[in-house]
Amino acid sequence: MPLIRKPAAPPAAQAAPAVDPLAGLAHPSSQVRWAAARIAADAPGGVEALSRALGAETDARVREAILTSLMRCKSPACVDAIVREIRHDDAGRRAAALDAMRAMPDAVAACAPALLRDPDSDVRLLACDLARLMPVQDATRLMCERLERDEHANVCAAALETLTEIGGPEAFASMEVCAARFSHDPFLGFALKAAARRMAPAGERP
Amino acid sequence: MSETREPDAEEFKRLCEFIYRRTGMVFGESKRYFVERRLLDRMASVGTGSFGAYFAHLRLDTDGEIEQFVNALTVNETYFFREDHQLRCLTSDILAERVKARRGAGPIRIWSAPCSTGEEPYSIAMWMLEHWPEVDAWEIEIVGSDIDTKALEAARLGVYGRRALMRLPPEIIAKYFVEEAEGRWRILEDLRESVRFTAANIVESSQTRPHGRFDVVFCRNMLIYFDDASRREAAENLFDALEPGGFICLGHSESMSRISPLFEVRRFPDAIVYQKPQEASHA
Repeated sequence: MPLIRKPAAPPAAQAAPAVDPLAGLAHPSSQVRWAAARIAADAPGGVEALSRALGAETDARVREAILTSLMRCKSPACVDAIVREIRHDDAGRRAAALDAMRAMPDAVAACAPALLRDPDSDVRLLACDLARLMPVQDATRLMCERLERDEHANVCAAALETLTEIGGPEAFASMEVCAARFSHDPFLGFALKAAARRMAPAGERP
Repeated sequence: MSETREPDAEEFKRLCEFIYRRTGMVFGESKRYFVERRLLDRMASVGTGSFGAYFAHLRLDTDGEIEQFVNALTVNETYFFREDHQLRCLTSDILAERVKARRGAGPIRIWSAPCSTGEEPYSIAMWMLEHWPEVDAWEIEIVGSDIDTKALEAARLGVYGRRALMRLPPEIIAKYFVEEAEGRWRILEDLRESVRFTAANIVESSQTRPHGRFDVVFCRNMLIYFDDASRREAAENLFDALEPGGFICLGHSESMSRISPLFEVRRFPDAIVYQKPQEASHA
């Protein structure tokens, strides 16, 4: 039998990166910034430096490492930095921030109510998706509030999608209010009917 | 406990959408019976006959129910030549690329993590011996790592029952195993000596760094059990553990694209795998 040889000695381990975690976040090399982003959270002043770097970083891989480090800390400052990304014009950056928020359900529960009342309808829409992570009763209440009050049909549709997963008949009154407010919008009317069918208790579906 | 009933069509859709959102695993009508059996088992285990009550329990991950349910949905067993399409991909396409990309004369390094009781790294070794014509031309190092030290002890021992060998042709069993007792086979010593086993938690960079860098990582059916934060940590550690241009193979129900944008998707005839970009060197 031909042999698969085991090396006499194990190969050299990867050394811990010889990078100054704070200065490294601003280094011209993206590889150095990546390495710094992975260790900066443990350094004094690291969270603040990571928060600043997140806004300025142009390399998607380094941004990903910054987000992971901020997620790991979960401090209010970290959450604020990630929430700022939700407002970014770049859809990829918004999506990456949402992914990071999904890994922080406690932080979502704390900041979702404010995000759902944000003046920017895009932020409200994205916050509807995050509400899935909240306790059912809180999320249902917030989604019903959107259905009853939000002026944007797309935000209501996003709230409805979340309710379809988490809600039940307790949301029906708010859905009727929404249907009346958007009686001119055939898509929302269709979506509300389909959601009601799914959310009705078994045996009570039309 | 109220009388247990199967979910109706809408409830089943709701459950499948939730599973997809959380894990990326897709179950449709064709898998309904499979999912329902496991759902009813889990409902019985948590003491409810109501789908609504169980779904709330699942959504809130009460008592780690998501992991329990995922465990029930995945065939949580390992055996030799499992998902052999990826092994075919290894010897048909991946190794050729890695050999072409090599600059130094060091060994080709392959990491099986988690390796459980060793079936996967030994399968890689056997498959390469059988199907890669260049196997004798290269120094090859295969490392199996797991967090479970008892599993590693069993891996080093290399003794397996009939079930673990169920996918192996008789000639392969005859070539690489010795029957020790009724229904128990031991891997040949040469093959056992060709795999190095180590303890490692993939989420901890302090435990992955000492392993150096690899050309190919097999990380199958592990990430689905992690929460989002741990999955990202693991993905970044695996990224660091790969040579530029190195490959990672995940389980059939897993998608790196859902976890991290660090890797590029590569579609080969036998498998979809993920590749660390060639230009991603190290600090």
